[in-house]
Amino acid sequence: MKQSAVVIFPGRGVYGKDQLGYLARHHGDKADFIAGVDAWREAQGRESVSALDTAETYSAAKHASSVNASAIIYACALADFAAIDRERYDIAAVCGNSLGWYLTLAAGGALSPPNAIRLVDTMGALMEEKGVGGQIVYPFVDEDWRQSRAREKAVGDALHAGRTEGEAFLSIRLGGMAVLAGDEAGLAAMEKSLPKAEDRYPFRLARHAAFHTPLLSHVSAAAFDALGADLFTAPAMPMIDGRGAVWTPHATDLGALYQYTLGTQIVETYDFSKSVEVAVKEFAPDKLILAGPGATLGAPIAQELIRHRWLGLTSKTDFAALQKEDPFLLAMGREDQRNAVT
Amino acid sequence: MAGAIAASADGFLSRLQAQRLPAPLSAATAADTGLSAADLAGLFESQMTSRRLDLEARRLGAEKRGFYSIGSAGHEGNAAVASAFRLSDMAFLHYRSGAFYLERARKLPGETPVWNMALSFVASSEDPISGGRHKVIGSKPLFIPPQTSTIASHLPKAMGAAFSVALARTHKKPDAEMPLDAVVLCSFGDASANHSTAVGAVNAAAHTGYRGLPLPLVFVCEDNGIGISVKTPDGWIAASYGARPGLRYVYGDARDIIDAVRAAREAETFARKLRRPVFLHLRTVRLMGHAGSDLESGYRERGEIETEADQDPLLHTARRCVEAGVMSLEDAERLYDETGARVRRTMEAACTRPKLSTARAVTETLTASARGPRATLPGRMIRTAPDDARARREPQHMSRLISLTLAEQMEKDASVAVFGEDVGRKGGVYGATARLQQKFGPGRVFDTLLDEQSILGMAIGMAHNGFLPVPEIQFLAYVHNAEDQLRGEAASLSFFSKSQYTNPMVVRVAGLAYQKGFGGHFHNDNSVAVFRDIPGVVLGCPSSGAEAVRMMREAFRLAREERRIVIFLEPIALYGTKDLFDEGDGAMTAIFDGVEGRAPFGEVNAIGDGDDLAIVTYGNGAYLSQRAARTLKDKGVHARIIDLRWLAPLPVEAMIDAIGPRRHVLIVDECRKTGSPSEEILAAFADRGAPYIASRVTGADCFIPLGPAANEVLVSETDIVSAALKLISEPSQQAAE
Repeated sequence: MKQSAVVIFPGRGVYGKDQLGYLARHHGDKADFIAGVDAWREAQGRESVSALDTAETYSAAKHASSVNASAIIYACALADFAAIDRERYDIAAVCGNSLGWYLTLAAGGALSPPNAIRLVDTMGALMEEKGVGGQIVYPFVDEDWRQSRAREKAVGDALHAGRTEGEAFLSIRLGGMAVLAGDEAGLAAMEKSLPKAEDRYPFRLARHAAFHTPLLSHVSAAAFDALGADLFTAPAMPMIDGRGAVWTPHATDLGALYQYTLGTQIVETYDFSKSVEVAVKEFAPDKLILAGPGATLGAPIAQELIRHRWLGLTSKTDFAALQKEDPFLLAMGREDQRNAVT
Repeated sequence: MAGAIAASADGFLSRLQAQRLPAPLSAATAADTGLSAADLAGLFESQMTSRRLDLEARRLGAEKRGFYSIGSAGHEGNAAVASAFRLSDMAFLHYRSGAFYLERARKLPGETPVWNMALSFVASSEDPISGGRHKVIGSKPLFIPPQTSTIASHLPKAMGAAFSVALARTHKKPDAEMPLDAVVLCSFGDASANHSTAVGAVNAAAHTGYRGLPLPLVFVCEDNGIGISVKTPDGWIAASYGARPGLRYVYGDARDIIDAVRAAREAETFARKLRRPVFLHLRTVRLMGHAGSDLESGYRERGEIETEADQDPLLHTARRCVEAGVMSLEDAERLYDETGARVRRTMEAACTRPKLSTARAVTETLTASARGPRATLPGRMIRTAPDDARARREPQHMSRLISLTLAEQMEKDASVAVFGEDVGRKGGVYGATARLQQKFGPGRVFDTLLDEQSILGMAIGMAHNGFLPVPEIQFLAYVHNAEDQLRGEAASLSFFSKSQYTNPMVVRVAGLAYQKGFGGHFHNDNSVAVFRDIPGVVLGCPSSGAEAVRMMREAFRLAREERRIVIFLEPIALYGTKDLFDEGDGAMTAIFDGVEGRAPFGEVNAIGDGDDLAIVTYGNGAYLSQRAARTLKDKGVHARIIDLRWLAPLPVEAMIDAIGPRRHVLIVDECRKTGSPSEEILAAFADRGAPYIASRVTGADCFIPLGPAANEVLVSETDIVSAALKLISEPSQQAAE
């Protein structure tokens, strides 16, 4: 019997050295789609995603740059989406994190393939050219992914410290992680304020700007200048945005979608946690499918499931046990789970 | 029979597949009403989802996994009302409002309305509004207080909430829950429109409108033409409500979503711009019977059921969508299928969620003290207010002290508003609100019309908007016609909303007997049973002027800090009483400025420390017992009097402590023998196995007659003395045997 699924798209930073060759490895059968992306990139004078994917070595400066990472992640994720076996899965809805919103629009059918790469690439270039500030990551759950009041308080305190010294915002609610953003003074104050945790936090995200904050309102303005309202078409399936709002095929106001995509979500907190909550509660899918490349978004998704005690999960240990027995979250970026999807 | 219901239940899909769409009901188009294609599709989605929830609720009900099956089928046109009004327009909705709820949720990103409804149907403790206590349609972020009313008993509070919006605007109340330009909505059916509560609320609204006072309120009467099995006569609602003075009437056919939107927008514009009440009469149909257990075919012909199903609002919307090019019939069918699958999965997932499993968990939302105190802003006395400094420094009797305490509280807290019959200019029939209107203006102290349901409904509605209402019920006997406003509505709000909504208030009730034969039963009522079994409600009754001050302060604290509903029962006979024993002793009066502190809830007032006997009493009984104690003392019997102060919940621990080692306990209960506090006191003794020799003197099980005969059925000083002497003569060993 067919199962229902919500497909989740990742954001920036998921195409690392381990993902080099992802397109070539998995998507040799999607030459037309990839050629379309490459043609757009080449017309812009940018390196094709095929070339990026088949580079001999991974270069953070090249692969993780905004304009390149956005495009290659888009190509990999949408190719993954196309690879989902529709005989096994009915896709009930799509959502994503940050850049994943653009991929959601593409997968949901609100952007044609040419318009999708146009949006992704234009935004990638604008962020590279005009992006200011940065992002840091800090967990507000404990190491077993349970609620930690101390860490929640630490995040609140850090935001306060950041605002005292400069600009500081909650950029993304990312499951059990807070993505904080600000200008340099704000970031430094937040980093100073946050107690060291798990040997790696607070963790500054390289080559990221202060996404989803008012610090990027000029990027939003530039995006409106660069892209017209006719970019969008009615989606073919429900799309859950970074507020948890559901855009359905017939009831989507394209003007509102344009405003949200180039306006609201660029300058306001992206609530990925809420997207996941809405995905599971309102669509109650049999599975969540995380499109590749990579699988790092799996942890925030699991943390959000734990927060809602979804499927009775209360901890990282519970989640690991469930995944071992009968995985609820299928990450296409993991070889062991990909087969259950394609 | 089941076949007829099934046919009706599946009627939408089968007719859609057969392309049997009903003829148009109005010539207007979506474009005429300014609805976009997306708006129309969104409304259709809300309607379909509501229908699917109804069908799933019945499936789960049949499997004994769901617990509520009164649905919204046929009423899905109310999605139009949600679309026409703002998110922050507080809506008091009846139980057929699934589509309204879903449509309103579309206005607030991140809501999970399908999941929430599913949790509600299966009584999960995770249901965000009631926590598994009732299937209610409600939401804090969506400004939908949950209603359990089946009989329009939520209409008076809607009227009160709308009145408070206007009041907040006049007074620039910064901490009101609703925006100052909000409109309040309430919905009900055609059968409920006949209930006296509905009639009273509509009357109160029309009365307000007729006086030219602002009242941004829309009554939404969803007229499906039948109440369970009894038909509403054709045209009755329009004939009854179509031409009321002070009330605008708007009609729409909610089978047709476009006409429903047109009518709802007309009502919305009128109510918001002109701030006048509107009666929005929406024609609907009732599909799938009254509830899952209702075999409609037992009282309706098959043909009639099918004719109703032909007018399914979903079919009308499908036709509208096709006409407007929003979707094809095939699209509609696909969407209905997908929605059905989605709702089914959600319902199944909801079935796995936890339920309330202990009495403690169930009862923990009866009160909302965990939420902490409400913020207060100081209230201002108007500049030309009379100066009470002298009155506060001289001995005053109880009614005057009450008035001064109210003034104190109104100065302390700008959200306090005093209202009732004759409380304004007259200052109350016994002067307990004297000069308050002069001090605080007619916006905070005002007369109401003569209807206790409206007075209490006003209080509930105002409290929803952040006011601390102090309604007055002029005489205890008058509360009985309106008791459901306290019992079914005010008291249950915290319980059914997981304490998210509260309506704290201090209800002043003048009551009890001993008015020297004047007034008869209706002015001397001595039955307080009506207040004593309502979970969460506090009942207090002071026995002197100073006690009234201290207890009233505590009543306000309870309302403000613990969000409690406090009934403050003021003994009329003691209002003007100055002396306790001898003329001129002034022992029942007090100097306001000299009365310090509060009389804490749960504590009793022990008077005297006689060892021979404890007299447990309250109100007039405390006054009579103190006088009787003097006589007893002369006879060598020394008593301690324990004034309970709080009659519900009864302060059992404090009472037992105050009785101390005394073995003889006389209960002096001025109320009727049956159903009065003395019964509970004796039960408390028995429950604890307390070693007392106890007896009681009570009023007779009778109404209070006029003239001197009144004394024949009430407790007298002589009765107390006799009963005490008789009791004390009983050997104390008896108790130990």
